[in-house]
Amino acid sequence: MATCSLYAKTSGYGGIYVMLMVNRLQILYFILSMPAYLVHPYMIWGIIAIGVLSQCNLMILSRWFASKYAAKGFQGFVQLFGERGVRFLAFAALFPVFVKVTVLTLGYVEIVQMFIFPSMDKIWLLLSVFVTCFYVAQQGIEKTIRFVVIAFLCTIWMIVLFFPFILPPLATYSNLLPLVPTEWSLQSWKGLLIVWAALSGPEYLICLAPWFNSNHNLIKYLTLGNALSILEYLLLFAASLSFFGSDYLRISNFPVVQIIRYLQSPVFERIDIILICIHLFHFVFAAALLLLYFYGAVRIIVGKWHEQTTRRGFVLASMAVLACMMIINQWFWTTGEEQYKWLALQVWLGASTYLLVPGLLLLAMKIKERLQA
Amino acid sequence: MFWKMDNQKNTDIQSEGHTALTVEALRHVLANMEDAEFMECETNHDQTITLIYIRTLIDSERLNESIIGPLNRCTDKTIPDCLETSRVSEIAGMSEGVKHLIEGSVLLCDTLQNKWWAVHLENPLGRAIEPSETETVIYGAKDSFTEQLEDNIALIRRRLPTTALKTEKFTVGYLSKTPVVLMYMEGLTNPEFISIAKEKITSIDFDQFLDSSQIAVFMEDHPHTVFPQFLQTDRPDACAYSLGIGKVVLLVGNSPFALVAPSTFFHLFHSPEDYFLRWVTASFFRCIRFFSYFLSVSLIPLYVALTTFHYQMIPLQILFVLTESRSKLPFTPFWEALLTLITLEIIKEASLRMPTKTGQTLGVIGGIVIGEATVAAGFASKVLIVLVGISAIASFLVPTYQMTKSTSIIQFGLLVLSSFLGVLGIVLGMIGMLAHLNGLTSLRQPYFAPVAPFYGKDWNDLFISSPLTWMKTRPGYLRPLQKWRYSRRR
Repeated sequence: MATCSLYAKTSGYGGIYVMLMVNRLQILYFILSMPAYLVHPYMIWGIIAIGVLSQCNLMILSRWFASKYAAKGFQGFVQLFGERGVRFLAFAALFPVFVKVTVLTLGYVEIVQMFIFPSMDKIWLLLSVFVTCFYVAQQGIEKTIRFVVIAFLCTIWMIVLFFPFILPPLATYSNLLPLVPTEWSLQSWKGLLIVWAALSGPEYLICLAPWFNSNHNLIKYLTLGNALSILEYLLLFAASLSFFGSDYLRISNFPVVQIIRYLQSPVFERIDIILICIHLFHFVFAAALLLLYFYGAVRIIVGKWHEQTTRRGFVLASMAVLACMMIINQWFWTTGEEQYKWLALQVWLGASTYLLVPGLLLLAMKIKERLQA
Repeated sequence: MFWKMDNQKNTDIQSEGHTALTVEALRHVLANMEDAEFMECETNHDQTITLIYIRTLIDSERLNESIIGPLNRCTDKTIPDCLETSRVSEIAGMSEGVKHLIEGSVLLCDTLQNKWWAVHLENPLGRAIEPSETETVIYGAKDSFTEQLEDNIALIRRRLPTTALKTEKFTVGYLSKTPVVLMYMEGLTNPEFISIAKEKITSIDFDQFLDSSQIAVFMEDHPHTVFPQFLQTDRPDACAYSLGIGKVVLLVGNSPFALVAPSTFFHLFHSPEDYFLRWVTASFFRCIRFFSYFLSVSLIPLYVALTTFHYQMIPLQILFVLTESRSKLPFTPFWEALLTLITLEIIKEASLRMPTKTGQTLGVIGGIVIGEATVAAGFASKVLIVLVGISAIASFLVPTYQMTKSTSIIQFGLLVLSSFLGVLGIVLGMIGMLAHLNGLTSLRQPYFAPVAPFYGKDWNDLFISSPLTWMKTRPGYLRPLQKWRYSRRR
């Protein structure tokens, strides 16, 4: 059986990788559709408020990175929760990981079909995207971490294209008013929940602590990554709102994609086609990381964490994920209602994991310290 | 030292079974070699000395001047004292004798005392030092390496006149006995690179090496990729610069191309001239080179993607031109592009193999006659011919010829992907290519540095070529032992 070192550690990675990973994991699927859920101008404050909350959460997370348990990796988790506990947690983590990678991939494929290939069978799109994710993931965790730099550099420039929409004549500043909420409904709460779920993702970094160089100063980089994400969300929301207005946003599916259609270029029209494709860079990074997590979790559950990883094992785990994705795509992702349910599930799972994971780790560390004392 | 190891490992076919060095044994070993000479020479002292050499390997004039003449005049001195050359060494065994013979030495045997000496008289066959043809520059040094190893070492030594520049010699290929010289700066180059390079050279086991590129195949971490992991250059100034920033250089006997490692993907786009021009100009043209590479691999696939799947992306005025141009074509955009690109590759390959003047004629025939005729016959659109021309020219902007060659392979790969998935296919291909580059290593060091892994400080000599005064430190990804490029910290 061919062995491969998927989780090998040959060098440490600096804080810049943490910053880029936090940012790219927070800018995934929801960034394309979020303005449609937020709608009202005063939700700008909602993004900022949730951003601040996210920052608090990252501060808790930084305590974990600074702890002695984080640097030990798997053994650190075993010290905190015991072997059975870790296996249970790995089992519990399988579902959110699977749902995140599924919603991410199928959601992206849905957008591609909607805007680029309306008549193409989604299976081919799904297969091609998944094969690319698998190729990145099979190079191992170290190279996947490094890939975030490529993903970041290839995608960050797109934000510049939205600047014309916050400036006249394209922007209508009256659309940005009222900034003070005159009404507050259940929909507004849902909007905040979506923002929180959209900013989730950094909690997945807890397993990567052994690969980071200086775990004590990570708060700076976590903060920078989070701040950059909030700025991006603010810019995109403000651009969509000032260009479309609240009334149109309410009925628009993917306003961030729609808005790009209005950009004029002497060389290409429909720039949205290119931008949707380029978004794939960080989608692939996130999905590749999640695939590695999925395989790692399976290995822990079956009690093979101390054995060398095998290519066959990783292929089998990835095939299982692909098969499930295809089944979901075929039978459970057909109508708009079903898709909405999956999105809602992802929102709740993302929000829960982001809320609970840092807190749970902090609590476990406190209990452990108290028991040792 | 390595020679001894090499001899133990690989059987020297001809000296097998002959360990005692005698004239008779040598006659047996050199049997059926027309150019092997055995001659006897008498000294003034009536002493008979046997001279054995391979005529085609030695300098005949120096044989008379340095050996035969002095021996004839020799009185009572010992043989080494009689000779008018300092390169005399006493030898003992058969294998040592054969080694000296094939390296261009004359063996002298004092039959009375049964003593043997070797006098190095190699005929330095080879061309003079000429300007580089593969990496031409307007400004900067014009000399380039030749097939003479000693000359090549001298060209680098003159640029780095310091004892820190170390040269270690190895021999590879049990038939070709190709000399390989590993050069590095002691106290500057990371010792890890030196030990990896030595380990890789000593593990080479093959019969013959005719060029440094063949040695690179055995030393590369990833032999199946299209991307070269050793920078091949025939410019001594480029080698000296690489040594000065902490890389290692391999010079190979009978090859005018040195190997430089650890190499990165981005280094392949750097021209030696970048450091001689004004930094703004150099940076602009370096960026043009990167853009051209991107253009050369993606322009034709983009044409296929747009004309097959995304007509709506083409502005109306251009669409009219394109539709008119493609209206009578019998092929789909993919086949049209594929056939045109294959034709172009045939013309490119043929023009390389032809003599210079014929090559120029072929270029005219290929570029103008075939291009025009293809459009007139309705096999390809005018737009595609223009794009193919731009793409072909753009591919030649990359200073490294190996990279120029590899663009075609990548272009064909992206072409196939674009025919299935349009722009998405191109992006998927690009992601695959970048992930592949991210996974490559050169001398076990990341090939995509300083982007991934990220070394921010090294970006001043990445896409732009900063002024030399700004390049205060050596590249961090090379982990040099001396970080600062200044002798005095400022």
